[in-house]
Amino acid sequence: MARYGMVMDMRLCVGCQACMAACSMENQTPYWNGKFRTHVEDIEHGTYPSVRRELLPRLCMHCDNTPCLSACPSGATYRTEDGIIRVDYDRCMGCYACSIACPYDARYPYDRKDVKTAEKLYGDDLSHQVPHVDKCSFCEHRVLEGLIPGCAGTCPTNARIFGDLDDPESEVHKLSRSGKAKPLRPELGTSPKVFYIPS
Amino acid sequence: MSFVHQDVWHWQIATYLFLGGLGGATVAIGAMLHMFESCDRKIISAAVVSAIGFMVIGTVFLLADMLQPLKAIYALTNPRSWIFWGVVFINLYFLAAIAYVIPLLKSWARLEPLINKIPEPILALLERFNRMAALGGATAGFLVAIYTGLLISSAPAIAFWNTPALPLLFVISAFSTGAAFLLLLFTFSKEEGSSIIVQKLEQLDAALIVTELIILGAYFNFAFFLPTGARESAAILFETPMFVIGFLGFGLVVPLLIETYSIFFARHTRGSAALMFAAGCFVLAGGFLLRYYVLHAGVFQYPW
Repeated sequence: MARYGMVMDMRLCVGCQACMAACSMENQTPYWNGKFRTHVEDIEHGTYPSVRRELLPRLCMHCDNTPCLSACPSGATYRTEDGIIRVDYDRCMGCYACSIACPYDARYPYDRKDVKTAEKLYGDDLSHQVPHVDKCSFCEHRVLEGLIPGCAGTCPTNARIFGDLDDPESEVHKLSRSGKAKPLRPELGTSPKVFYIPS
Repeated sequence: MSFVHQDVWHWQIATYLFLGGLGGATVAIGAMLHMFESCDRKIISAAVVSAIGFMVIGTVFLLADMLQPLKAIYALTNPRSWIFWGVVFINLYFLAAIAYVIPLLKSWARLEPLINKIPEPILALLERFNRMAALGGATAGFLVAIYTGLLISSAPAIAFWNTPALPLLFVISAFSTGAAFLLLLFTFSKEEGSSIIVQKLEQLDAALIVTELIILGAYFNFAFFLPTGARESAAILFETPMFVIGFLGFGLVVPLLIETYSIFFARHTRGSAALMFAAGCFVLAGGFLLRYYVLHAGVFQYPW
């Protein structure tokens, strides 16, 4: 059993958004309606002339203490043995309690119109057959085959580092323990498994 | 840090929260009046039937807002979710309120033949345990009313909602709308003793409105002094005329003034009944506006 996590090296992110495109292709997210499982936030700090730009890639934090999982009444949101937070599309009733509970804006509705469009685009390969609230799965289908998530695999600067947080030999373990990489909003007590090295 | 309006729960959920609170509190207050005061059974039964109707309509709004309403059958899976408890409370409420109101409906001559079609042993059982059903309905009604606030207050990243003040505010507001609705109905009562019930209800509603104002004061004081999304939400509400004039003005202060006048000076004639009717309508509209604008002012505080 692993405990998968990710470290975002914000010093390396160039904001090319290849991660968003790769994720969308891998997971059939409704890009045609501007809905993605991962985003790159373009943040400006300060005022002219002392201005600084920061790029922050974000996705589901796969929290250990998971507000969305607690809020979901139907059990559609669940944790795998490897600590990945997933959504069972067939159990999700789309009440949005998870979206309201998530402090990281990780979820979006995969609604009826999105499913219709996806049916036309993907035909027999369709992976979202019913409307549901959708989110990042750390590309579990790839991880089970020994691959890394689509976003990390495609990142040209290796700004996204994926691995087992419990494996002392892994880079994510070392970075998350070094104090260099920190989670977002730790004061909420959600214990996220995505860490950030500031730029 | 960025502050972003929540964009998933809109007026449909506000309506659900309002009707849930109103339906729950109406049965809770109505059953207490019935048990401890001799009052017009026709009005109490009409109030309970309407309250059940409110709860049904509220639930329909909730289901209509879902992506897959038919999958609501799975809602009883995770007891850590407030929605799980909402489903439990609402179902207990329906069971107890229906069991409670059936014997009361006999007071309507037109409905008597219909009620008499229920097999005698069941009817006798319902009559025998009427007070127990009343107590069950009142308890479940109270739980539904407080659940509406607990559901909203469990969002960790919406600082304005994530406070113990919100469930308190919602439950007091729900009981105020319930008292106002009963007040409204009792203005139609032809029984002589009803003016005493009207007086009690206006005293109760005035006390609830004062409590609501105190909670609101503490709530906004807390929100304005925190450097979080709560301050952003409080500022949004104070810049919204329909919240300040509609809810605070016409939904709380005006009915409080009317009720205070009535408690101290009115003689409870037909004229003052019209005034009470107006106060009840204002409180009900205010109850909806509170929930609508609290949802509208829900602001996420994102770390980017």
